[in-house]
Amino acid sequence: MEPNDTTGHELSRRTTLTAAGAALGLTGIAGCIGGGGGAEFSPISEELTAWHAMGGTNGDTLDSIAADFEAESGIEANMEFKDSYENVLTDTLSAFDSGSVADMFQVDSLFAQQVFDTGNVRPVAEILPDDFDTDVYLDNVAEFFTVDGELASLPFNNSNAIMYINRDAFEEAGLDPDDPPSTIEEVRSASETLVDEGVTQFGITWPNHVWFVETWYGFEGELMTDGENGHAGDPTTFYTPDPVYDLFDWWKGMNDDDLYTNPGIEAWGEATTLFIEEEVGMLLTSTASVAGLIADSEGFTVDAAPYPGISDTRVGPVIGGASFYVPDGLSEERYEEIGQLLQYMSEPEVQTEWHKGSGYYPITQPSVDSLREEGWFEENPNFGVALDQLQSGDASDPATKRALLGPAREVQTVIQDKSVDIIGADDIDSEVESMKSEVESVLEGYYE
Amino acid sequence: MTELLQQAKRRYESARETDEDADESEATGTFGGVNLNVIHPQLWLLAGLIVFPIFVTVIVSTKETGIVTSLPDLLPGTYALENYREAVVDYGFGRFMWNSLLMSVVIVVGKLTISVFAAMAIVYYRVPYKDVVFLFILFTLLLPVPVRFVPLYQLINDLGWNNSMLAITVPYLASATTVFILRQHFLSIPTSIVETAKLDGVGPVKFMIQVLVPMSKSVLVGVSVIMFVYAWNQYLWPLIIIESEANQVTQVGLQLLQGDVQGGNLSWSLVMAGSVLTLLPPLALMILFRKPLLETFTIQQK
Amino acid sequence: MSTREIFDSRLEALLLLAPTVAVSLVFLYYPTALAFQTSFFDSGFGQAPTFVGFENYVSLLTSSAYHSSVLISVLFAAFVVVGVITSSLYLSFLIHEVDTGQGWYLISVIWPYALPPAVAALVFLFIFHPTLGVLTGPIESLGIELDWFNDGPQAFVVVMLAAIWKQIGYNVIFMIAAMNNIPDSLTETAQLDGVGRLRRLVSVYVPIMTPTLFFLVIINTIYAFFSTFAFVDLLTSGGPSNATNILIFDLYREAFSYFNFGVSSAKSVVLFIVVAVLMLIQFRLTEEYSHYGA
Repeated sequence: MEPNDTTGHELSRRTTLTAAGAALGLTGIAGCIGGGGGAEFSPISEELTAWHAMGGTNGDTLDSIAADFEAESGIEANMEFKDSYENVLTDTLSAFDSGSVADMFQVDSLFAQQVFDTGNVRPVAEILPDDFDTDVYLDNVAEFFTVDGELASLPFNNSNAIMYINRDAFEEAGLDPDDPPSTIEEVRSASETLVDEGVTQFGITWPNHVWFVETWYGFEGELMTDGENGHAGDPTTFYTPDPVYDLFDWWKGMNDDDLYTNPGIEAWGEATTLFIEEEVGMLLTSTASVAGLIADSEGFTVDAAPYPGISDTRVGPVIGGASFYVPDGLSEERYEEIGQLLQYMSEPEVQTEWHKGSGYYPITQPSVDSLREEGWFEENPNFGVALDQLQSGDASDPATKRALLGPAREVQTVIQDKSVDIIGADDIDSEVESMKSEVESVLEGYYE
Repeated sequence: MTELLQQAKRRYESARETDEDADESEATGTFGGVNLNVIHPQLWLLAGLIVFPIFVTVIVSTKETGIVTSLPDLLPGTYALENYREAVVDYGFGRFMWNSLLMSVVIVVGKLTISVFAAMAIVYYRVPYKDVVFLFILFTLLLPVPVRFVPLYQLINDLGWNNSMLAITVPYLASATTVFILRQHFLSIPTSIVETAKLDGVGPVKFMIQVLVPMSKSVLVGVSVIMFVYAWNQYLWPLIIIESEANQVTQVGLQLLQGDVQGGNLSWSLVMAGSVLTLLPPLALMILFRKPLLETFTIQQK
Repeated sequence: MSTREIFDSRLEALLLLAPTVAVSLVFLYYPTALAFQTSFFDSGFGQAPTFVGFENYVSLLTSSAYHSSVLISVLFAAFVVVGVITSSLYLSFLIHEVDTGQGWYLISVIWPYALPPAVAALVFLFIFHPTLGVLTGPIESLGIELDWFNDGPQAFVVVMLAAIWKQIGYNVIFMIAAMNNIPDSLTETAQLDGVGRLRRLVSVYVPIMTPTLFFLVIINTIYAFFSTFAFVDLLTSGGPSNATNILIFDLYREAFSYFNFGVSSAKSVVLFIVVAVLMLIQFRLTEEYSHYGA
């Protein structure tokens, strides 16, 4: 049959079907799907490679740490920026499949469980040189990253959520900047004053990120899930005790009365911008922002203050930030080199350099000690708020251990999306329950 | 073409008959208020709206931190030189642009060549299965990157191409739209020329070089621009498959400029500076070659 | 048309078609087939997949959230396609009619096509952010309150507008090319007879341009379903309340945030089917319309 083709749509039905059949037939090729677990890996390059998600100046600081390491040890190291924590994970996953892996990769604490479950990582306690004392890590930090008694990954950039206030705005509104709000009720009344006095458009904002909800749970001493937040068993139940309802009541009220503004999902930059532009008088965000905030807030003075709790209960904050994991299955010689790099990154001088350059707090006791000695925290009190908050927290309370969930990212998204629904609903009770059941079905899907 | 024209003439006749304001329109040149004096302002407004975002981008790239929250903020800053220098020197943007350029050029040349081959086979060869093949090629429009991404990564790794120029060029070499457009164009080359070539006993190679290419110059330029823009703007795939910064392309490099947002680095202005740099090559090509672009995209009226 | 087929060497045809077919096969079809295969498995991050048969598909078919996602995607595509075509048509017509400055107008309208999607989304965010946006003040003084982080339908509109804005350039190129092909004689006659401009556009030009328009409908549909990911990702992350959770975003998130490759492969198969069905319908419709020419 002679094809009377001019444009595609005039082709006969028969040729269309034939084509479809051919296409499908040709693609019926059996393929092997990559699986995980217990394999042998080879490094992707001669030099030690670390995949990380630190962009901008923090990335520069990492690069200089690598350069210093090279100078000192003679071992070449390369810090590869991978755009986001998620991307590091994606690439690592593909790397496991393909067999060539980076020597270390930076994983957000949120994803810790997923990485464990691959069975493809080797605890750093086994890689660090024998003379390395893993007790140097601050308790609270070490607690989270210790699995089955040994340090699983190298904590590196860790942070808490804290509150920043605009001193000048407080003074202008007649509030005392040296006595910042310490509970959400006080935040509300401070916001009302700020807005009523016409000093700022809104009272407070924070990025809509699950970390803040987790921090509220932590300070209240409330577990988010059973299994001690996933550290002692598979989590299957999501807890929503009364304080949580109080939290969402407050949040909704703030939103309804325009005392709070929603900057967007995980909108770190936008929330910070709102504070710098003095649209809000208070900001909840990471301590890692402290250097940047002070630099960018040219027109006013910034103060860091402890995170406001739901009530007067103050158990402790949850750890944020990331750590470096090392894949299993490399050669022993390779592990020696990696161990040296890991050790180097934990040295007090390096930790201090990292802290001063980034705002993430120093996580080894020697580093903290040396900073105190040189009077760093006196001169820069804002840098110390998070550390104080951390160290005065009760590290033994399971509620202060950040939840270790398999499907963490999905749970995170559910909570974030549902939060918006909750504060927009007329009746928060049913929405909170719906959030609970959604989270539980996600957990069930993973752990079944 | 003639049937359509006749249809059109008939329609316009009926339009004219039912047009009550016929006489009035002629006098004032208006209908529904659309007259020449109104066209320019309308175009200004609409085109202005569309151009506004690039204006914002450029302005932000000239500022120190680049926070613009209201119209008055849109005055140019004085940090342009600083930001662009930082992007190029500190972040190695020059190298990224070079990699992108290399990648895009290879893709354009490669895609053009094999698509010309394919279109020529489909139009000028009498073989029974060619419609099937054409559909086979067109079908690929429905196979987006996120679907094939993970298996593709494994495949490239197995071939040992990861982190190489091969990985970011070869998978892009097949193009359904290019083959489609070229086919459309070849079908519009007058049959008289084709028949003359046949009578002269011209072989396929000669035919392609001496007939097809000269007759398709502007179309070839037009699709090349389209392909360049497409290749240049690729983000997801290079992000995954290129492991070393030295080999990375601009789109991914842009992310590097963004900094650690959780760590409080606000660098909108730097990102916008990088964005402007990234935008320049494809934009320049589109402006330079807009005439061939327009000529390329004449869908044959059959 | 058969007079064009001046060569008949099958071998030569094979050689000419081979590169395109080979690349398509190896780098497009084969990975897709693998992905299709993955849809029958359940796989988590770095774990060995377990065969689950049609379970992934069943869970999609019984999930009302997924049904909404399909519906939203189709609605989104419909609005985007209609929006792009009408606004591009009007703009192309204006540019075609204008006497001077055509080149400049053309450039200012088509430039978004060169913009990387992620940058486009970011700039859009800059301009329309509910509290920080550059144009937010002026818009709110017109009486519209921008609250698209909390308001679902509004978020849908914002993403839709962004998608339309980006695609106008591509359409205008095609439409102006088509309009330039309309014989001047027809235009002149219409003008002499006093047919108004808009009338001329709608009743005369559009029918002549139908092949171009149908082609654009198809291209725009593919764009709306597959290429609008960046807008959702950077503007709304699928929310609020999944109001902008279009299929391509949903499946991307399933794969690269949740690492559920089995489920996301199933989702991509469904997406593929949805679009293929729509394509088929569009082809059928255009077949009917273009038969008047036969």
